[in-house]
Amino acid sequence: MSTVLVSAQGIGKHYPLVSRRDARMRALGRLLFTRRAPDGVDVLKPLDLEIRRGESFGIVGENGAGKSTLLKLVTGVLTPSVGSIQVNGSIGALLELGAGFHPEFSGRDNLRMAAALAGLDARAVGDWLPQIIEFADIGQYIDEPIKHYSSGMVVRLGFAVVAALKPDLLITDEVLAVGDESFQKKCIAWIEEYLAGGGTLMLVSHGMYHVQKLCRQALWLRQGEVAARGDVFEVTQAYLAYHERRQRQQDDSTAAQSDSPYRIVHYSIDGAEDCQHIVLDERRHIDIDVEMEARDNKAPVLLFGIAHGNGLPIYGVSSDMDQVRPLALSAHRYRFRFELDLGALLPGEYLLKLHPMDSQGLRLFATHEVAVVIRGETREMGAVRLPHQWRE
Amino acid sequence: MTTPKKRLVGELVRRELRQRYLGSLSGGAWALLQPLAQLAIYGYVFGRIFSARLPQQEFGELAFLAFLAIGLWPWNAFAESLSRACTTITDNAGLLGKVAIPRFLLVLAPVAAAFMLQVAGFAAVLLVLYLGGWFEPRWQALLTLPLFVLLALFTLGLAWLFSALTVFVRDIAHGLPQALLLMFFLTPVLYPRSLVPETLLPLADANPLALFVGLFRQSVLGVGSYGPGDWLLAVVLTLASLAAGYLVFQRLAPHFEDFQ
Repeated sequence: MSTVLVSAQGIGKHYPLVSRRDARMRALGRLLFTRRAPDGVDVLKPLDLEIRRGESFGIVGENGAGKSTLLKLVTGVLTPSVGSIQVNGSIGALLELGAGFHPEFSGRDNLRMAAALAGLDARAVGDWLPQIIEFADIGQYIDEPIKHYSSGMVVRLGFAVVAALKPDLLITDEVLAVGDESFQKKCIAWIEEYLAGGGTLMLVSHGMYHVQKLCRQALWLRQGEVAARGDVFEVTQAYLAYHERRQRQQDDSTAAQSDSPYRIVHYSIDGAEDCQHIVLDERRHIDIDVEMEARDNKAPVLLFGIAHGNGLPIYGVSSDMDQVRPLALSAHRYRFRFELDLGALLPGEYLLKLHPMDSQGLRLFATHEVAVVIRGETREMGAVRLPHQWRE
Repeated sequence: MTTPKKRLVGELVRRELRQRYLGSLSGGAWALLQPLAQLAIYGYVFGRIFSARLPQQEFGELAFLAFLAIGLWPWNAFAESLSRACTTITDNAGLLGKVAIPRFLLVLAPVAAAFMLQVAGFAAVLLVLYLGGWFEPRWQALLTLPLFVLLALFTLGLAWLFSALTVFVRDIAHGLPQALLLMFFLTPVLYPRSLVPETLLPLADANPLALFVGLFRQSVLGVGSYGPGDWLLAVVLTLASLAAGYLVFQRLAPHFEDFQ
């Protein structure tokens, strides 16, 4: 068993331009009679890639950055335009929310096909079937044509097939985004177990939470080029920071924020200026320092809150509720400092929100959001740990 | 072929067969009903309405229906395979975009399925013709089995060629059925070769299907003057078709996804 599962040297992809009617004919002629590739646009610039057994690799980037193209090159669905790639092992891929099911055939027939594609004989399907039906939670629908399935059912079945195949390399492209919450959890639990058992993963996701939870390494693609690669937290934070910068550029150009009479000039968390993203492990205390401007020279109010990653508010309080006044730096500059203990939060993704308010604490002027990832493992459910005591 | 590949082809053929009869009440019974209905229609149109007769000094008392049927089923197998296979790659774009599957195996399925169905139909038709007293069985009729294999491989080569070209030039999917219809009338299926005007004979003989149809008729009915050289020619044509089709297919296959 080789330790290097995927090894790619300078693989890149360009797609031919086929909008013009004669372009297809010209491309066909070139492919048949010359060695030159047809003209096209680069969607993935040449890059090297090496994935070893047991690694978990996340790929992040905006739409059209070349993430899916890279996965397809590794899967073998696409042929690289330049470079070469070797894969030593079996691949189970869920590309673009499907496993290549045929809509006219029943789930059972498609499972037979999936088994044949994986090189198993039809009898193996019989052993699989109960396991797959249970995992996909699909019941008697297994004998209905796939076209009658909901999109969630298709993804569940696809994932169940891949899970049953136990490939050397698991490749998933935004699969976790489709299933409902309980199935997502099931998938994540399965992937974690699969990784713990020595499996190898390549994952494309727009949910940084999933990438951070499941992957140890990450690759950030920007317009077909590698923008960063390495440790998952460094790469995803760089990626999120890049998004925040872009977002802020847009905000600055559209909304004239400085028009509002009360605003947050800048803030820092644990000394990090205007940071957009924090990750907490053992330590759950954070120090927040906010400098505000009040153009009417009245001491402003600061409201802060914590929301769950799904948007559900968990806690919020303002300085005037706590009857706290800011430190006046000058007639219209004020400073709030506070320490926040997030020890009650369970591992997960949260949002810390900061809002400047007028001096009466009535009007809210802006929202500053900081993504907070709390790492750790627990079997408790929900978002916060409530104090409780079991009685004898 | 390795065992997993055999399994895959088996599954693809099974799926192709199921797809045709999916949702129909009688299922696979159509595979036999259809050729028999077709035979009855031809018997009525050519036997009753046109009262078609074969030239007597060449064919003796041979019934036109038997003459027609023995040529028609091999042609059907060829034409049906080709027109189905031609869109295989484009029809399966969904599968090919998600699963790395050896693409040349995909084209095997429609050809194999069409031949299986047509050979079954052919056997049923032979039985009916025999029971009806339209033809006398002869041991040479067994030669139709290797002939069907040759014809299937010949068709497979063309199927590879056209399915690959169709990905790039979609017009082929529209043009091929028309071309096959034209070729049907140019091939001596409905009429014996001896009725072709002498000036057009070189053109008629350049048609590989005319050779196959002629060999089928000679094997089953004992009509025609084909020798071992013609059998050799059929083998050479088959190998040439396979080689050309496979070469073009493998050259274009890596680029299919870019043009789907």
